[in-house]
Amino acid sequence: MHTHRKFRPLTFADVLIYAFMILVVLLCFIPFIYMLALSLSSPEAIINNKVSLVPVGINFEAYNQIFTYPNFFKYYGNTIFYTAAGTFISLFMTTLFAYAMSKRFLKGHKLVMMLIVFSMFFSGGLIPTYLLISNLHLTGTVWAMLLPFAINQFNLIILINFLRAIPTEIEEAAIIDGLHYFGILRRVILPLSTPALATIGLFTAVFFWNDWFNGLIYLNTDQYPVMLFLRNIVNGTAMVGDGAGAADKSTIAMSIKSAVIITSTLPIIILYPLLQRFFVAGLTVGSVKG
Amino acid sequence: MTETTIASKPSLQDYTPRPGRRHFRRYWQLYVMMVLPLIHFLLFKYAPLIGNVLAFRRYRPGMGPYGTEWVGLAYFERFMQDPAFWRAFGNTLILSFGNILINFPIPIIFALLLNEVRAQRFKKFVQTISYMPRFISTVVVIAILGELLSPSSGMLNRLLGALFGMEPIYFVNEPQYFRPIYILSETWQYTGWTAIIYLAAIAGVNRELFEAADIDGASRFQKVIYVTIPSIMSTIMVMLILNVGSLLSLGFEKVLLLYTPSNAMVSDIIDTLVYRTGLANQNYSYATAIGLFSGIVGVILVSTTNWLSRKMSGESIY
Repeated sequence: MHTHRKFRPLTFADVLIYAFMILVVLLCFIPFIYMLALSLSSPEAIINNKVSLVPVGINFEAYNQIFTYPNFFKYYGNTIFYTAAGTFISLFMTTLFAYAMSKRFLKGHKLVMMLIVFSMFFSGGLIPTYLLISNLHLTGTVWAMLLPFAINQFNLIILINFLRAIPTEIEEAAIIDGLHYFGILRRVILPLSTPALATIGLFTAVFFWNDWFNGLIYLNTDQYPVMLFLRNIVNGTAMVGDGAGAADKSTIAMSIKSAVIITSTLPIIILYPLLQRFFVAGLTVGSVKG
Repeated sequence: MTETTIASKPSLQDYTPRPGRRHFRRYWQLYVMMVLPLIHFLLFKYAPLIGNVLAFRRYRPGMGPYGTEWVGLAYFERFMQDPAFWRAFGNTLILSFGNILINFPIPIIFALLLNEVRAQRFKKFVQTISYMPRFISTVVVIAILGELLSPSSGMLNRLLGALFGMEPIYFVNEPQYFRPIYILSETWQYTGWTAIIYLAAIAGVNRELFEAADIDGASRFQKVIYVTIPSIMSTIMVMLILNVGSLLSLGFEKVLLLYTPSNAMVSDIIDTLVYRTGLANQNYSYATAIGLFSGIVGVILVSTTNWLSRKMSGESIY
């Protein structure tokens, strides 16, 4: 459709708005640029307050320190494992549940839907959940990180709504071809659902990547995810760079903290331009009421 | 359908598949699919719900998660008389209201301004960048804040020192800065994300309204005030009511990360109180009682505001 476009000159208001928007973009970026600069600067430059957005006295000492720290790669590996396994289990369970729940004619459909919705508004709470996990003897195992979060109700409802929008004729054709429901799900529905699965998969992956609290209350030290390691560096529970002299420990700690921040956030920042369209897709799919 | 032709008495229209064995023979695989997820739901979503009986029972270590004997409302009476609870309750309300006051209007203003950007590419770019902070871990946000606000070499203190000659302030440790830090970090993290909803609402406004306003000679500002805002009012109302409904649920993880003994008088909220009394001091029943109380208040708030929302704007979340 063609709409005739009027070329209006930029008004003062336009200039203000553009300036404001540029400020917003800068505000989103500057913290990361500052962290990057700190992580690459020399301790002398940091202690003399010379570092702002450009690294001064470029060196990779901070990265060297964390990469030679014995447990850093272990924590990083733990996070990768929780993210991969957690996302896989979550997609598996959510898809099975959502596909069955997309069929309104099943008996008990209404009841199960009520169970799902009710649990969104009233959750068990911290202490009962903690006691349950420890009574199931999951504390100190990776399952404590993975199983309780296998199904997120919001993602479940997004997927149910998406699957309900798929025309039933496609399934009827598959039934005539002799497929049963497991086969239909695997061969027909899954390929059609890739956008929706990518969206909720990404939300789930971000959740697992960023999680630290459940690691804190359920896991042993050697099972910690990297975010919990970062938190422990920040509040002084964990120490990196012990070889340094006592005097510049705080500034060394500063560049090391920044290096951990950068390395642990890097995957999200790098993948963000590729993934962001799925995030918004998820929000709009979810707003379509079934 | 072929079976129905044998029995001629009930017409084809009256025929509904007899519930029972044929239904299950046909659809059993769909029921099988639900088994694992349902077990998960009962175990991880509903067993903890039942676990709340612990608020009325005494917990003894090693005697199961549901406690040993009934004590009635003893734990509720105890926390009602506990000044620490009322401090946490007050802190929760103040922080929540402060957060709504600042962070409810900001995404609306941002969306309205962004909508005025006529260069579509630039608009898209700003929007994409603006919701990136939503995907950054709270730990990272707090760690970055710690460095930006550091008294020895943080950027903000250096800036204040250079511009106004101010002495460095230990922001993350001083109680009076806790609430601004919490609220402004929420602004940074969630403004762009929340604005998506308003931008979608603005995109749905009937274009003829703007054209009519143009003919009437309305200025750009007048169009925002008299066309755009009234058109997205129902969205604004629903969002406001939802915000009020979740008054007691703050960003628990963020508060926990910002918590230090020296800012405890303002940063101890209900959730951190539950965490400390329950998990750190292992007063399980007492902490469960506090958690249950806040959960019930939360459900009452959500359902009341949802009911109000449905009455006022016809929109509801369930």
